[in-house]
Amino acid sequence: MITVEKCTKNISIQDLGRPSAQHLGFSTSGAADEYSFLLANLLLENQANTPAFEIFLGNVTFKFNQPCTIMLTGADCHSLLNNRNVENNQLLLMEKGDVLQLRTPRNMLYTYLSVQGGFDCNNWLGSASYTHNEHHINGHIPPIYQGQAFTLSANTGSKSKHENVISNTPKQDRNLFHQSQKDKLTLRFIPSNLFNAWTKTHQHTFLTQTYQVSTLSDKMGYRLTGEPLEVSLETELSKPVTLGTIQLPPDGQPIILMKARQTIGGYPVLGVVIYTDVIRLSQKRPGEQVNFNMTPLSQAQAQLLSFRKRMGLT
Amino acid sequence: MNTAEQVEISAIAEDAVLVEWQETISPTIQQAISHLKISLNAALSHKVIEMVSSYNSLLIYYRFDLITYSQLLETIIEHTANSTVSRDDTSNTPELNIPVYYHGVDLDHVANQLSLSVKEVIDHHSTNSYIAYAHGFTPGFCYLASLVKQLQLPRRDTPRTNVPKGAVAIAGQQTAVYPNISPGGWHIIGYTPLPMYTTQSQVFEPAINLGQVVRFTAISKEKFIALGGNLEEISRL
Repeated sequence: MITVEKCTKNISIQDLGRPSAQHLGFSTSGAADEYSFLLANLLLENQANTPAFEIFLGNVTFKFNQPCTIMLTGADCHSLLNNRNVENNQLLLMEKGDVLQLRTPRNMLYTYLSVQGGFDCNNWLGSASYTHNEHHINGHIPPIYQGQAFTLSANTGSKSKHENVISNTPKQDRNLFHQSQKDKLTLRFIPSNLFNAWTKTHQHTFLTQTYQVSTLSDKMGYRLTGEPLEVSLETELSKPVTLGTIQLPPDGQPIILMKARQTIGGYPVLGVVIYTDVIRLSQKRPGEQVNFNMTPLSQAQAQLLSFRKRMGLT
Repeated sequence: MNTAEQVEISAIAEDAVLVEWQETISPTIQQAISHLKISLNAALSHKVIEMVSSYNSLLIYYRFDLITYSQLLETIIEHTANSTVSRDDTSNTPELNIPVYYHGVDLDHVANQLSLSVKEVIDHHSTNSYIAYAHGFTPGFCYLASLVKQLQLPRRDTPRTNVPKGAVAIAGQQTAVYPNISPGGWHIIGYTPLPMYTTQSQVFEPAINLGQVVRFTAISKEKFIALGGNLEEISRL
């Protein structure tokens, strides 16, 4: 068993979400930083979609009462295993009685803890992902409470007798994905018909701006702040929205829709940020900078295919 | 001219294509969308991940590793052209009657704003019938339209943080029932004891199906309670 000894409301179980329940109004939900989530399962040789703990800004303590192999990925929480430093992206062999303490990360937001072979958790409409706005629905995934214990799934055994076994993927490669965290992140996007119909001047204003991630961001959407875009846009009937949709509300400050977004939305849409760049954005903190660059569909598809291949999804 | 056949198709994301009809709320368009969904499901099966529809749009999530955008585009065009939509071609779903205790917290305000009596507001809302156009906002929430002109108001300037479960509300051309306690910016005119969904062993069943005809019927406070309504719940705002 793994016990969540100490936590606030900053921990949940996530997997790749429930994209096929959107027609009922359910958010796709799922791991905010899909790269780090998939990396943990890949290196543990788990099934790609094995549910993991998603921790927002560290400060969670786990206690293990049986041996198992785990991995931490994503934001580095300077974690302590029985008061000894351990690193992300390394196989960690836990023994009975071990205590793993995640502290506050200096960069990024989300950390993932995955267990080799997985742990038992509830499932709702094809996914174990918790969604804050939906958890009151009977049968949906409940939030994690302090002291909650999780039974390890069958067939978990220590993979190796050696601690901190380095996997065969070179380590630097694992950090490459979020490498530019400190720098300005360029969000490549597929422009909408609306954006394409804009004047060159308006397009230029949007494409040359540097935006900051606002403190009002959450897993539903990341709000950006910059010079407000002054474009008069007609309100249209609400339409279905995808991950990465760039909405432009009347205040002229773009919102990027993230994993816990609603299924349909009414604000004018400037385009859709490509999948891999939404994953990068998910780890951006308020105050950090982004800008936009157009990209063709074919290139976006090629990027996503190669990402999925690399992460063991195809 | 058939508005249902005039569509705009755009590849909006790596794995998503948006089909848009004319920018209007119309039963004909609703039927065209519903037809297209059924025929695409049959034609593409597992190559389609999900289809989400709204008033005049259909979003198709597809496996772009199994079918190219141009192949999908061709299939959509073919099935849009073939979908002959006739008036009688409604689904077999019977009308749904939603009992309403018209005692909403905004009822007086709404009547004032519209220069109507409270009774007139209730009569307008419960005489008309509505069509279910979209599920969204939150599971079990179904967008119904269209309200008669006399009842159309812009939404509240400041949304409420806690709209009670079962609240029957209006905004613009639309009306809906809040399936659970949630934030919301629509005007609350009444409350229904009818649950907006049921859940049972991994199945989520919304009370209203898309395309279904919905009516509201005024009920007394006593009937509201008899049908399982909770006065305490609705007074918590």
